[in-house]
Amino acid sequence: MPFSNATRKKASHDQQDTERSQRKRRVSGENRQGLAGLKRHKQEDSDFCHSDPAHHSSSQMDESVNSRKPNFSALVGSNGLTNRASSLANSKPGTAKKLVIKNFKGKPKLHDNYKEETWMKLRGAVDAIHKSTSIKYSLEELYQAVENMCSHKMAVMLYDSLKVVCEEHIKHQITQFKGNSGDELDSVLFLRKINKCWQDHCRQMIMIRSIFLFLDRTYVLQNSMVSSLWDMGLDLFRQHIISDTSVQTKTVDGLLLLIERERNGEMVDRSLLKSLLGMLSDLQIYKEAFEVRFLQETERLYAAEGQRLMQEREIAEYLHHVDKRLEEEQDRLMFYMDQSTQKPLVSCVEKQLLGEHLVNILQKGLHQLLDENRTDDLKLMYNLFAKVKAGLETLCQHWGDYIKKMSRYGIQGSALNWFQSYLPGRKHCTSINGSFGSTIVINPEKDKTMVQELLDFKDKVDNILQSCFSSNEKFINTMKESFETFINKRLNKPAELIAKYVDSKLRAGNKEATEEELERMLDKIMVLFRFIHGKDVFEAFYKKDLAKRLLVGKSASVDAEKSMLSKLKQECGGAFTSKLEGMFKDMELSRDIMVHFKQYAQHKAKGVDEHIQHQKDSISIDLTVNILTMGYWPTYIPMEVHLPPEMVRYQEIFKSFYLAKHSGRKLQWQPTLGHCVLRADFRAGKKELQVSLFQSLVLIMFNDGDGFTTEYIKQYTGIEDGELRRTLQSLACGKARVIIKTPKGKEVEDGDQFHFNNDFKHKLYRIKINQIQMKETQEENVNTTERVFQDRQYQIDAAIVRIMKTRKTLTHTLLVSELYNQLKFPVKPADLKKRIESLIDRDYMERDKENSNQYHYVA
Amino acid sequence: MADTGGDNGPGKKAADKMFSLKKWNAVAMWSWDVECDTCAICRVQVMDACLRCQAENKQEDCVVVWGECNHSFHNCCMSLWVKQNNRCPLCQQEWVVQRIGK
Repeated sequence: MPFSNATRKKASHDQQDTERSQRKRRVSGENRQGLAGLKRHKQEDSDFCHSDPAHHSSSQMDESVNSRKPNFSALVGSNGLTNRASSLANSKPGTAKKLVIKNFKGKPKLHDNYKEETWMKLRGAVDAIHKSTSIKYSLEELYQAVENMCSHKMAVMLYDSLKVVCEEHIKHQITQFKGNSGDELDSVLFLRKINKCWQDHCRQMIMIRSIFLFLDRTYVLQNSMVSSLWDMGLDLFRQHIISDTSVQTKTVDGLLLLIERERNGEMVDRSLLKSLLGMLSDLQIYKEAFEVRFLQETERLYAAEGQRLMQEREIAEYLHHVDKRLEEEQDRLMFYMDQSTQKPLVSCVEKQLLGEHLVNILQKGLHQLLDENRTDDLKLMYNLFAKVKAGLETLCQHWGDYIKKMSRYGIQGSALNWFQSYLPGRKHCTSINGSFGSTIVINPEKDKTMVQELLDFKDKVDNILQSCFSSNEKFINTMKESFETFINKRLNKPAELIAKYVDSKLRAGNKEATEEELERMLDKIMVLFRFIHGKDVFEAFYKKDLAKRLLVGKSASVDAEKSMLSKLKQECGGAFTSKLEGMFKDMELSRDIMVHFKQYAQHKAKGVDEHIQHQKDSISIDLTVNILTMGYWPTYIPMEVHLPPEMVRYQEIFKSFYLAKHSGRKLQWQPTLGHCVLRADFRAGKKELQVSLFQSLVLIMFNDGDGFTTEYIKQYTGIEDGELRRTLQSLACGKARVIIKTPKGKEVEDGDQFHFNNDFKHKLYRIKINQIQMKETQEENVNTTERVFQDRQYQIDAAIVRIMKTRKTLTHTLLVSELYNQLKFPVKPADLKKRIESLIDRDYMERDKENSNQYHYVA
Repeated sequence: MADTGGDNGPGKKAADKMFSLKKWNAVAMWSWDVECDTCAICRVQVMDACLRCQAENKQEDCVVVWGECNHSFHNCCMSLWVKQNNRCPLCQQEWVVQRIGK
């Protein structure tokens, strides 16, 4: 029984002990060992105590007496020990022994000077602890003495006396710091001294408390006004040692000095720092005495460091430094700072090293990092900026600026090249590939690199977004906006160049890409396309090139063409691609028509015997005609040329066949788009030449003569001057020179003579000379652009009619804003006004009679 | 294969010809056979759809109509016109449909 009681008691002691020990977590391990040692004593103590119930305090007496003597069971109910009582009752069933409760015969008496003697004993022990000498009595004895005194209502006196003794001692301690204050004790030594004093104090207080544990558990707990022994110790220490201004200042100064040294890279005694900062926390003066000054100091240090390093270092280096600093501070926090300092400290460092320099950092380093594609540094920058208020916003803004600036530079450069490429003479110069168009390059191929550069740039930017900016949506949107802004800074030209870029990729002979690569490239192009406002410009140029690809048979892959078409349809809707689709439809229809035509020609040959000549003609060559629907296709300048009679006859045969099938139509031949295969008979052997119609017209002339002048050929064939010169140049000055020009030279001049080159040699049997047809002339370019502007007028008209038809009545402002929503190309308000006027003239709508700013739809 | 025919070379034999046509890819553009290629009613080219059809995205259905007077318009423009006035807007003759394009 006494044993079980003791264990229970120990358990409750332990519980309380853990509570206490949580409060003094910073007390060193050494102290804890002491505490554990004492616990063992306590257990023994309590065993010992129970054997003498007379000295128990009342409540514990009840308990122990009750459990030992069954005749006290009447008290059970009020004691709340029901379980035990019932078990006791059950143990002796049927015994009818009468219980008589009697008072003690008399109070146990103490001898008179028990109080003084015991106190002297305890005081001796306390003094011994303070002086670190051995204690005369065993700890059990002392513990019991305290317990006894408390039991005899001497707790108040005991507590007060103990306090006085401790106070005396602590007051005395101050002298060691005071005394030396004059001769400027080294701050580290001073800190060590303070630390020692503090450690001693803790150790002593723990010892004392262990002895006076009973006092702490009873008297202190019962009186909320009295602080526990440990807290009393802290109070005294605070009051007498640390509240001394010079001591406190010196301590804090010393601490700050140590921390500064550590920040400067020196090795310092971190455990000393940890212990002393723990002391400040325990004394509850951490915040006011230390933290405030510490943060000030930190701010001062890092403000200066930020200023200095921003000047001295490269941005990447600086960012790494900041990162390192933050890590160090984090480490410091982990190791010896109070956790409450974390937030203000980190934010202080971030503010001083980053927040103050946001714009500077970005202005000084962002462009360079982006230029050099330093993803790791950029990632670090992003992560650091994410910590600071408004950091990401600022970064994002500069990111947008970078894209705008970078790409505008690129576009202007390329545009310059584009312009240069159309300078008269079309000189081929060696391309000097400088940074983003800063070098003038007179190279017609160069304008194509603008799109390639844009694509590369977009790739790079995407990569940075993904790997450095964690695909932050804001950054992606800013990127999109920026692309949109700069691409549309130059009206129309980027759209044109993108269209041409696609053409270059979709053309036959472009073997650099597989189908999948081509597909991926088209997807990327669509991303750029999306940014463009004047999509109709793209459409016009795309259409022009598509027409050539289809008609001259130069398309690389039908699948790729169709895929591009469906992408455009998806992006811009059916109206945008209806004409392009019409072109494909025309090609298919033409194929059908040609099947019918061949049947027709054969039939005619069989049926009409007398026209043998005709019959022979109609099948003697392989004639294919592509019938285009006007309106779907680009407009071509009509050109009349003189065809050899047999070609004219073929045309006539076909024309009568076609018009018989389709009434109400007329046919317009397009010689610019025709191309032929010619058999050629050179001295070195036969060849097949793939040539444009114009080229074949010129070559066929040489069947009937030789040595023609430029003027004669022009008169004979009727080919337009510029076109003819290009044609002659391709035949006489290109790679395959089937005719010879005298005098020799690159340019075709009036009066030049042309001869058949009978000695023509070429390693191939089939020779293509008709690439000239695929090239764009300046007139073509101008025409296409003009055509776009005309079409825009129709589109504006259509949009106005569409809006007015649904709304019936609208004010001018509302109509205009609706129009801006619908129109996919940039327009000036003045142009819109003109179109509205024109529609009013044509009775599509009318002005309100009273309010001239209001329009009504006229059905 | 035969040569390009004897009637263009004056007296020369076919074998003498240095160039002969083997294959010809010709291109022709068809349009409605009309006097004026703009519709006088909506002032859009007859080869394009009229404004209303463009607005309603019915380009495919927008065909041309010829009157006996040989004037031509978009069929849909004309059908609206004749409701008000059954005369050709260009020559004021009675409007009689000659044919409708396809």
